[in-house]
Amino acid sequence: MLSIQNLRAKVDDKPILNGVNLNINQGEVHAIMGPNGSGKSTLASILAGRDDYEVTDGEIIYMGQNLLELEPEERAWVGIFLSFQYPVEIPGVKNIYLLKAAVNAIREHRGLPELKAGDFLKLVREKLKIMQMDEAFLHRNVNEGFSGGEKKRNEILQMQLLEPTLALLDETDSGLDVDALRIVGEGINRMRSPERSVLLVTHYQRLLDIVKPDFVHVLANGEIKLSGDHTLAEKLEREGYEGIEAA
Amino acid sequence: MSGFSAWLNDIEGISAQQALKTGLPTKRVESWKYVPTRSLTRTGWRPATPKATERFALTGGRFSNIPEVGGLEVTDEKLTPEEKKRLTGMSEAHGFGLTQAALDRGQLILTVQETASVRINLDHLANEASSAGFATLVLRLEAGAQLTFVEQFEATVVEKSNLSSLRCVITLGRDASVTHVRFQAANATAHIFSNIEVSCGENASYRLQTIEFGAKLARNDVNIALAGREASASINGLAITKGSQYHDTHLTIDHVVGDTKSEMTFRNMVDGKGEATINGRVLIRKDSQRSGTEQSIANLLLSESARVNPKPELEIYADDVTASHGCTVGSLNKTELFYLKSRGLSEADARAFLQYAFAEKIIGEIQHQDIRELVETQLLGELQQGDLIGELKESVDV
Repeated sequence: MLSIQNLRAKVDDKPILNGVNLNINQGEVHAIMGPNGSGKSTLASILAGRDDYEVTDGEIIYMGQNLLELEPEERAWVGIFLSFQYPVEIPGVKNIYLLKAAVNAIREHRGLPELKAGDFLKLVREKLKIMQMDEAFLHRNVNEGFSGGEKKRNEILQMQLLEPTLALLDETDSGLDVDALRIVGEGINRMRSPERSVLLVTHYQRLLDIVKPDFVHVLANGEIKLSGDHTLAEKLEREGYEGIEAA
Repeated sequence: MSGFSAWLNDIEGISAQQALKTGLPTKRVESWKYVPTRSLTRTGWRPATPKATERFALTGGRFSNIPEVGGLEVTDEKLTPEEKKRLTGMSEAHGFGLTQAALDRGQLILTVQETASVRINLDHLANEASSAGFATLVLRLEAGAQLTFVEQFEATVVEKSNLSSLRCVITLGRDASVTHVRFQAANATAHIFSNIEVSCGENASYRLQTIEFGAKLARNDVNIALAGREASASINGLAITKGSQYHDTHLTIDHVVGDTKSEMTFRNMVDGKGEATINGRVLIRKDSQRSGTEQSIANLLLSESARVNPKPELEIYADDVTASHGCTVGSLNKTELFYLKSRGLSEADARAFLQYAFAEKIIGEIQHQDIRELVETQLLGELQQGDLIGELKESVDV
């Protein structure tokens, strides 16, 4: 479904990714762990189409398409969703405007009819309930004045509404207290399905206790140094990354 | 030479002579540095004919249908020395000020009586091609009086340049308050001049919300004097400048005495070959202790050839004051655009969302729902792709 071959990227002449290879099949959950500055977030951002990075080599094929040739919105249309590490505040735009516009933009590209106001509200209320969010969130400006946990829940709410085929979750667990972590984690679990793949970027094992990955990869110095099953995360939690970075 | 020469020549009196002699301001006059005066000098301006209307309107430099509301009085008496002084100050500033004074035809003095609460709506009707109207409105608020003053502009298509100028002198007595909303969406060939001179007495408050969408050339001069203790003023402004429009806003708030508060927020959004000037000056005098001011100026450039000339000026001579200020110039935020696009919004829709958000920060502050909705509707028409937001508002707002 997703195939990353020898991906190299830099920012301002500073190499960040030095030949990443990764395959994700339909329905699989992969976790990428690694120390600060290893390139984890860069990888997620490049997949979603952020243009702050220069891809110097390699290719990314997603469901037969060359992803690097697509604009961010085109990637969203083919089913890619990025949950931001730092969700962006947009003062002046109500959350519900963004949600409805996004849902209908993606439906349009999937050949589905536009959701009318009533149906949309019904759908969004159902998802709010799952994320244990109050309806007042809909009428607040996008992420403005949200706490760290509220922002992350809002990201997962968007994911639930947009129903991506590949969800990229960039440190969705950071800044969450125990309860919020559980709500977010369960929100992700509900989205697991044989048609949907997930790539989790995280520092810590705690989210992986709730969302059990099929595969765990360690990214260090811009390369995947080690891959394994979920027990690798536990080992890393105990032993740290030091031995791997040197490898 | 000025496009007003023939007209001024027909008028007797010293002020016309002075205006003729001085001519229109050149680039060397600091406050008119960026004003493109070509269309002012090239049009052979003649007096506009007032149009028939049933509303309180400014047309052909004259006021029609002066409102008859309880608490509002039309005053026949003369200008006070203070009002005269302020009008003289405007006219002596430069040659256009002299022209405004010399060609002034309509003068109206309205008094809002003690503790009365009044709303008046003034429609600026479009003058016919190559014609101009100049008028002066004097508003006096007695102690505790409240006034909502709404100015709107007719946007009928006029083939050639037209011009309308209003000088407004507002005096607020003790505990009086004014909410002044100006929504300038005049026709595309219009030249709109507005001078607002305000003086606030003790514990009086003046609040201006000024929205500029229309006209070919619009010039706004606002001078507010906080002359009594506990007086306050706030200005919230937005100008959307596109095509080859020019919008110029000069704001001054003078903390004449201490214990006074002011807030100045202005946003320019410039597209195409538009050009906008914002000069925001706040003066806190030496003895005006315990005063506070907040100033914020933001300028959004949407095209390569859009231009903005921002000049924030904070002059503080007192030592016990609180002051904050910020001035930014930039294009649409890349991270915000990426966020919206990553949710499936097209580039054009994402840009429209962010432009709407930029403007809404000012428009959302308009308290009167009827005016706010009117301005929002017009805003969506101004934006490319604004219809998406319009549909969203309609379908999900409760």
